[in-house]
Formats: sequence, structure tokens, C-alpha cells
Amino acid sequence: MAGMAHAIELDDVTKRFGTQTAVDRLELRVPEGSIYGFIGPNGSGKTTTLRMILRILQPDTGTVRVLGQIFGATADNRLGYLPEERGLYKRMRVYDLLAYFARLKGLRNSRPAIMQWLERLDAQQWARKRIDTLSKGMAQKIQFIAAVVAKPQLIVLDEPFSGLDPVNLESLHDAILELRNQGTTVVLSTHDMDIAERMCDTIFMIFKGQKVLDGSMDSIHRQYPANHIRVRLADGAAELPQVDGIHSIARIGRFIEFIISDEISSQNVLRQLAEQSSLTHFELVKPSLHDIFIHIARPNPDSQGTAT
Amino acid sequence: MQKIWAIAVREYRAMVGTKAFLLSVTMMPILMLGSVVTVSMLKNSRSEDRKIAVIDQTGRIYAEIQKAVERRNSEIETPNTNDKTEDFGDTMASKLFLEPIAVDEVTDELRMQLSNQIREKQFYAFVEIPPEVIETTANQTAKIKYYSEDSGLSEVRAWFEEQLNEIVRNLRLLDADIDLAKVTAASQRVDIRGLGLMEKSSSGEVSADEKDAMSAIFLPMGVMMFMFMVIFLAAQPALESVLEEKSQRIAEVLLGSANPFQLMLGKLLGTVAGSLTVFGIYLIGGVLLAQNRGWTDLIPFHLVPWFITFQILGVMFYASVFMAVGASVTQLKEAQAFLLPVWMVMMIPFFVWFSVVREPNSTLAVGLSFFPPATPSMMVLRLATGQSIPLWQPLLGIVVCVLATLTTVFISARIFRAGLLWQGNMPKLSEIFRWALRG
Repeated sequence: MAGMAHAIELDDVTKRFGTQTAVDRLELRVPEGSIYGFIGPNGSGKTTTLRMILRILQPDTGTVRVLGQIFGATADNRLGYLPEERGLYKRMRVYDLLAYFARLKGLRNSRPAIMQWLERLDAQQWARKRIDTLSKGMAQKIQFIAAVVAKPQLIVLDEPFSGLDPVNLESLHDAILELRNQGTTVVLSTHDMDIAERMCDTIFMIFKGQKVLDGSMDSIHRQYPANHIRVRLADGAAELPQVDGIHSIARIGRFIEFIISDEISSQNVLRQLAEQSSLTHFELVKPSLHDIFIHIARPNPDSQGTAT
Repeated sequence: MQKIWAIAVREYRAMVGTKAFLLSVTMMPILMLGSVVTVSMLKNSRSEDRKIAVIDQTGRIYAEIQKAVERRNSEIETPNTNDKTEDFGDTMASKLFLEPIAVDEVTDELRMQLSNQIREKQFYAFVEIPPEVIETTANQTAKIKYYSEDSGLSEVRAWFEEQLNEIVRNLRLLDADIDLAKVTAASQRVDIRGLGLMEKSSSGEVSADEKDAMSAIFLPMGVMMFMFMVIFLAAQPALESVLEEKSQRIAEVLLGSANPFQLMLGKLLGTVAGSLTVFGIYLIGGVLLAQNRGWTDLIPFHLVPWFITFQILGVMFYASVFMAVGASVTQLKEAQAFLLPVWMVMMIPFFVWFSVVREPNSTLAVGLSFFPPATPSMMVLRLATGQSIPLWQPLLGIVVCVLATLTTVFISARIFRAGLLWQGNMPKLSEIFRWALRG
């Protein structure tokens, strides 16, 4: 790993709860200054992994190295955390709450940072409001500020966009990208594949406690080659063409879409189609992260990544 | 350290800055003193006049009891506070009016008739005095019968018993030709005046304080209840605060910023500070009230340092237990189940305080005051009696308490850490023990 610094390194990490193995011999490298997407179905070990990174949980075996430290028993001031569920004192005022969380992270004079962030997310008029008077989206923004106000080197964001309208989503999205550009490492856990694909430099997928995806979108696409073909026939044939070696075929609008099996090449499909009718459109469609996620996680015996 | 401080400050503000806190600080003494005040108010209130039928078969007693009733009635109308012997101040005094029932023989029919009249509120009671009560034969078994709806607890019955005994005794003496005046003089009661030990005051005067029931019983009891109150007023918010952090998922954020021990210690410090605030409020309130009423002597200022010491330890002990409970459950409702045994231990001093006040150096009192959960309240209870408690005992009490508190805080912090992240069903007791042992 020479030449590349890692904010987080997990080596052979296992965590069990009773008889259940939540995380199974996990290896993970999160490069510094990148946005690292954490995806995976519910109950696959995502939150457990995040909690181990945050030192809320200790692994049973293996090492968790965060910002260069293996034994960071105490919560690290260089880490910021936005949990999946809102964790705010209902009866506190926004400003007091942010100042408290900043202080817990060792930031004494937090006023400039708080005011700057409130302004940045268009929430300065909420500073004196009590948390329980805030809307869900507002509370989410406050929770985000609480995570980043102490200028952490590494922030862990668990579903930061839930409950946000498109405008607020966009401003938070920009804020996260800006943090990354300033050198902050961002671990972003989300169920929104579109966001993950759009924002993350690296995608990591955990399924049943094991790593099933890890790499840039490009490398993931290389791993999951296009098996999706979209065609348009010249005569707009009423009948679907007969093609061997495909999983499924469907008419979507003016297009016909095939999912081809691994044994057959797209060239072969093209040849078969050309023999039957003339084509006006032939496209190899890259699978979206969404497709890949479903492909891995759907309850199918032959699906990839199942831990047995 | 900075984190602990930040947590303590927030905890203190959250505890003291709520309406619930203000309300409980004001309501607690009202509730606790309420019963005492109500009873004493009832005692001082005059109840209604009462009419009593008297069947005097001796023919000699009625006139005497009539005189006694007149004395009683005039005493009630113009209470003579200096005269302690005829004090109706602590009874529910009602004026009495007698009505003689003249019959040759008392039949059940008559009794029934009178009983019905009582039911109809024409009479309050009737008294049946058999003819032979004045006789002094050896096998004298005659009894005076008093019938009323509330004979068991009746103050009037007790008064009749006392008066009739005196009248009967006097009549018997008269019959035996004994000089009544001499007997009365000879049977004069001697009072014993209760005094504390001789002490030299700052002005060099040597004297002993008069010990009355007030300072002997109610002062220690009050001090003990006060201890209970300040501990309770601190421990309950501590539980609620942990519960809030757990149910609102704040715990996760906090544990990402501070370790469980820092968190727990900070919360404990904030709670102790809150409890000292309660103490301060009550102390100032008490002093002001005492000055207003001229009771300043009654405030045991010498106990304050002991009280504060044991208060801090007691609050730490119970607040950490309450926090562990708060971390183990998901709702306040569930917390009650876990708190029941804690409550029972907390209440121990309430069951034994009276015997401890009478004998603060008994084995029970000394033993219990070294039982850590009871140490804070038992020690101040014993110290407040004013009897000499060997100095090593409260000092050892502090040591015992510190050790127990450290152990409790340590175990509670483990339960706290594991419990905070526990969601869903209430954990089994075995699970909690596992947390306590293994962390």
C-alpha cells in the first residue's frame, strides 16, 4: 500500500453477537480524502462495521486501524458521526446542542463554526429553536452539522439524506463533496444506489457479513460486465425476435431489452438479431449499481456472494 | 477530563433547568410534610358537640361525671395552654353533653333502643355503669360498658375511662373512710425532665439542653427523610436522562464522542451537582423559615458536613444504579420492575428508624449503617440523634460507601455501555449479569 494513505484499515475483522456472525473476516481499506460508499441490505453487518470504526464496538478478532491508530479505545476527536436515526436531545436548543457536541469533540470555541454551518445549510434562523420544534429534514441537517462541526478528518455518515427534500438534499450533497475536496475522508452509508453511484469514489458492499464489492465504479463495472442489451428494430416488429442464450427479453417502449447469459457474447446476440430483422439501434447497457446490488442480494440460490 | 466536564455541565443544566425539577423540589416537602401538617391541623380543630346517654345504676357517679364534663367543656372553650395536665390540644376535642337514663334494670331491649338512637344520630354514645363497680370485694369483675360506633379509637371513650376510674377510686376511698386529700397528695406524679449531657458553651457556660420529643425523634427522622429526598430527586432524573439518550439514539452519538466511563462519570458529576443544588435550596429555605419562626436552634448545623459527604456518596451510589437500570430498559415502565428491589433497599431506614433513634448504638443500628445502600441515611439518622457515636463509625461509613460506590459505578458503567446500544426487547436479567461481569 505504498504511496497511498488509508484513513481506515480493517484486517481480518470478525464480530459475533451470540451465535450470529455479524461481520465475517472483513478486509477494508478506505483511502484518505475520498468518499467511500457503504452499501448492503439491512442486517448485513453495515452498522456493526461502522460502529467498530467508531470504536463503539470492539471486534472479536482482527484489527481496526482508524487514522493510524489501532487501539483507539476512547472515541476519537478526529472522527465525526451521523447515525442513521436522529440522536438529538429534544429539549435542547439547536445552538446549545451543537456547542455541546462540538465540545465533546474537543472544540472549545465552536461559535464561528456553528454559525458558518447553520448559514451554509440555510438554518441560521433555527439557532434558538428547540430541537423538538424542528421538522424531520431540519433535524437531519442539525444532526449533520453536529457530525462535522468539530472539523473531523474522517466523517461517518449513515443515511445522511433520509427525510430531505430535493433542495436540502442538493445542499447537503454539495457540502459533503466540499468536505471531501478539503481533504476530509467520508464514509457514506446509504440505501440510495443512485446517490452512491453519483457521489462515491469507491463503493464497498457488505452482504451477510462479508465483502462482496470493493472498488471504484469502473472496476465494479469491469467485474460486472454489461449483460444488458437494448435494441430497436427497423420495422417495429410486432413479434419479439427469437434469440438463444438470453435470460430475459422484454419490450420497453419502442425498445426491446435482453439480459444475456454469461455464456453468450453480445456479438452472438447481434448476429442472431441481424439474421431476423434489420436493427436501427443496438446498445450495450452498463448495469447500474442498483442492478448489481439486486443481483447480489436477491434471495436466489445461485446469486453471487452468498456466505455458506 | 474536558469531556467529562462538558457532559457534567449539560447533565446539570438538563436536570435543574426543567419545570419538572422545580415542581418536584417544591412538591416533595409539601407531600412529605403534608401528612404531618394535616394531622396536626386536624388535632387542633374542634369537632362537633356530642351527646352521651348515661345509665348510672350506682346512682352516685352521674353527678361526678357531669362535673368532669363541665370542666372539660370550659377547658375547650377557653384553652389554658399553660396547664399541661388537662391538655386537649393533641386530641380531637369535642364538647360533651350528658343525658341520664333512669331505669331499674338494663335490658337488651334498652341497649338496642339506645343503639338505634345512636344510629339515628340522637346520641353519640351510651355508657352503662353497673351498680357494683364501686364495691371493693375481691372478686370484683364489674365492667363499665361504653357503646358507640367508634368505640375502638374514640378519644371520648379514653377520656371516660380516665375520668370514671378517678371517680370510682374516689368513691371507693370515701366508702373506706380514707382521707381523699392525703391519698391525692401521696399519689402525686413525679415528672422526669429529659436532658442532654452537660456541655460547655462558647461563652463558658456549662449547661445541658432540654431534650424534648421534637429534637429526639423528629429531627433525626427529618434528617433521614431529607437524605432520602435529595437522593431520590437526583437519581430519578439520572435514570430519565439515560433513558432519553437511549430511546432517542443519542447514546450512539455520545459513544462516538466519549467512552462509557467518561459519559457515566460526567453524568454522575452533573447529578451530584444537581443534588447539592437541591440541598442548597432546602437549606436556605429551612434557615429562612427557621429565622422567621425563631427555630434557628433546631437546625443541626453541625450535621451539614456529614450530610453533604454522605449525600454525595449516596447520590453517586443510587444514581449509578438508576443509570444502569435506565440503560438496560427501553421504557420507564420497564424500569419499574428493575427498580423495585432498589426501592426496597432504599426504604430500609424507613422501617427501622424508630428503633434506631431510640438506640442509635444498637447492633442493628450500627450494622445497618455499614450496609452501603443504607449507610448515607442511617449514618445521618444516627448522628442526628445527638447521642455519642464513636467518630470511627461515620469515618468507616465513608470508606465503606466510597468502596461500594466505586464498585457500583464500575459495574453500572459496564451495564451502561452494553445497555445503551441494546435495542428491541427488554434484556433478560441473565443478560444484564453477563454485561456486569464481562463488560
